[in-house]
Amino acid sequence: MSVADYTTRHRRGIAAGAVAVVALAALAALFDLPVADLLTVGTFERALRAATPIALAAIGGLYAEKSGVFNIGLEGFMIFGALSGAAGAWLASGSGSVGQADLWVGVVVAVVVCTLLTAIFAVLTIRYEADQIVAGLAVWFVGLGFGPFTATVLWDGVSSPSLPNIDNVTVPVLAEIPVVGRVLFDASPLVLFTILAAVAAWVVLYRTRYGYWVQAAGENPEALDTAGVDVNRVRYGAVLFSGAMAGLAGAVLSIGIGSGFTGTGVTMVDGRGWIAIVAYLFGNYNPLGAFGASLLFGATDMLQVQFQTVGISLPGSIVGLFPYVAVLVVLTLVGYTRVPAAVGEPYDTEE
Amino acid sequence: MLRATVVERFAIAVAATLLALVLGAVIVAASGYDAVEFVSALLYGAFGTRSNVAFTLRQSTMLVLAGVAVAVAFRAGVFNIGVQGQFVVGGFATAVTVLFLAPHLPTGAVGGVALIVLGTLAAILAGGAYAALPGLMKAYADANEVITTIMLNFIASGVVFYVVDSYLRPAGASAPNTENFPEYVALPSVVFDSPSFSVVGLAVALATVVAVYVVMARTRFGYDLVTSGHQEPAAAYSGVDPKRNVVATMTFSGMVAGLAGAVFTVMILGYYSDPSTFPRFGFDAIAVSLLAANNPLGVVPAGLLFGGLDAGGQYIGFTLDVPPELVDGVVGLVVLFVAAPELFRMAGRRTGLGGNSAEARPGRTESDGGDEP
Repeated sequence: MSVADYTTRHRRGIAAGAVAVVALAALAALFDLPVADLLTVGTFERALRAATPIALAAIGGLYAEKSGVFNIGLEGFMIFGALSGAAGAWLASGSGSVGQADLWVGVVVAVVVCTLLTAIFAVLTIRYEADQIVAGLAVWFVGLGFGPFTATVLWDGVSSPSLPNIDNVTVPVLAEIPVVGRVLFDASPLVLFTILAAVAAWVVLYRTRYGYWVQAAGENPEALDTAGVDVNRVRYGAVLFSGAMAGLAGAVLSIGIGSGFTGTGVTMVDGRGWIAIVAYLFGNYNPLGAFGASLLFGATDMLQVQFQTVGISLPGSIVGLFPYVAVLVVLTLVGYTRVPAAVGEPYDTEE
Repeated sequence: MLRATVVERFAIAVAATLLALVLGAVIVAASGYDAVEFVSALLYGAFGTRSNVAFTLRQSTMLVLAGVAVAVAFRAGVFNIGVQGQFVVGGFATAVTVLFLAPHLPTGAVGGVALIVLGTLAAILAGGAYAALPGLMKAYADANEVITTIMLNFIASGVVFYVVDSYLRPAGASAPNTENFPEYVALPSVVFDSPSFSVVGLAVALATVVAVYVVMARTRFGYDLVTSGHQEPAAAYSGVDPKRNVVATMTFSGMVAGLAGAVFTVMILGYYSDPSTFPRFGFDAIAVSLLAANNPLGVVPAGLLFGGLDAGGQYIGFTLDVPPELVDGVVGLVVLFVAAPELFRMAGRRTGLGGNSAEARPGRTESDGGDEP
């Protein structure tokens, strides 16, 4: 593919990028923003932390959609992940003081619970041909109901008590590297894991036979079937993976970087599952692109802190809306990405 | 989705609701509560006393209105998940109109009626305008309306909260509430003596159902809207501009959602507050509309059912120590099961109940409901 080809295919994405850069520059000039003060190591660190849950869910979601099942229930599965992570850690500690080992038990519980719940979603959408959008919305509603419900059963309130979060890991030697060392090697292990997951997801999707199957299941299931591969099995695999990743993303929110489950309003997930979907659309279904987009949303999420440090006073309730506005801007500029051809269509083998 | 005959649909709706309720009861039992007590409290909370019935009808009024808003869009193959946001913006427009015009209009019944009518018009306009945004984004930029409308829900709540909290809160008040409306801006209590329910509100909801039904079934606009939901090529062939149709559909849907906001503000609140504390009628309405197979008339029984569930659920929250959020979960389960009609078809075939549905398949009609876009 030549450069010209590439630019034609990604014209809108590039246009969006250019518009974003120009807009940011204009804003900086207009308000006389101290740009250098905004772009610090701390900015990047915070953006990366905020991006972690979004990126994990996005990577899982893009596998599911690549395979032909739009897992629009990511937000709901994240709620279940956040809850079961906190609940797992709390129960593992014997309802007392939660230690590091208990937190890791919580992470495992979140992944297992969400994988099991996604199995139900997968059976309904793949075997019983449920409408994927409606079923995904249902997962959200079920999460909004049963998340706080379970929290109340466990803790007598829609939120969990305050829990510790997973300690940062400092990699010796590597942590000494300026900037990169502090951001990557003296950070939450989940941040590092997310970066590795993004790279691994890219390699598997574009460089392995299984990745080829996933793509074929979403683009041309008939051909995959003819080649003797069970389309629905590939789809089950990809959907279960998306559920596991959403579960992990939820656990990251509640016990990875947060301090317990919050079940008020639309819960602590607060739209990040929806943002994850936009992140992988923006990243054009490429795991690395999805990671980059998550970083962008993570950065908008953290603008509040940034603005405070440089003394720009905007009300917090308004700055808190920036990620949602960013999603709208991105969706409007990027618009239609080429969705895998067979997304949303159940595949029946003609036996 | 939902390709089925009317009878089959009705059976699916009933089966989905029953299955969800049974699962809810099982979860109650598994959490260590008494399931029988739960069910009887649910029924008592919904219908047990006159004031419980009033509460059920109040919730139903809101769910019917919001449900019709959802149904309008779904029928045209557009997913308006933003009814909650349009409802919030609409109600806010009502509150602002009433509060700002009240000093300039006569007090008493005449002023009250004028303020309510003007406030409602403002809500309809605001709701329609707010829904037009995602419509424009979908039509002209291919932005997925499921996601844009959800984002606009968050934005509506955030911005309205900010405005109410910073500009409309009376000096010295600690809660983010506007001033109360003048006493004469209220719907009359007829039949039920309840401060937050009026039969007039229910009548408005039912009149809206009829009006929307007539528009959908008897006008060119409604015909274009439904045709493009089912058969876009056919609609385009008959001269419908699909882009304009998407915007019109969303706007129409948002106008109904705005009206729901006006009824909520005038009938239930009598002031305005932080929208994130409001009931999520706009979301439950999705369940209502799906259960009604996106038929405006079907929204009435579905809205009554969910209104009863809601009232019963809140009663449970007050009396038993079963968390009321359970009912939200059950509503979600209903949506999940309604999304998978094939589940019930297969179950029906296996058990021999309704076994003719398999044979009925070739003859099933696809002309009367919200198919997927």
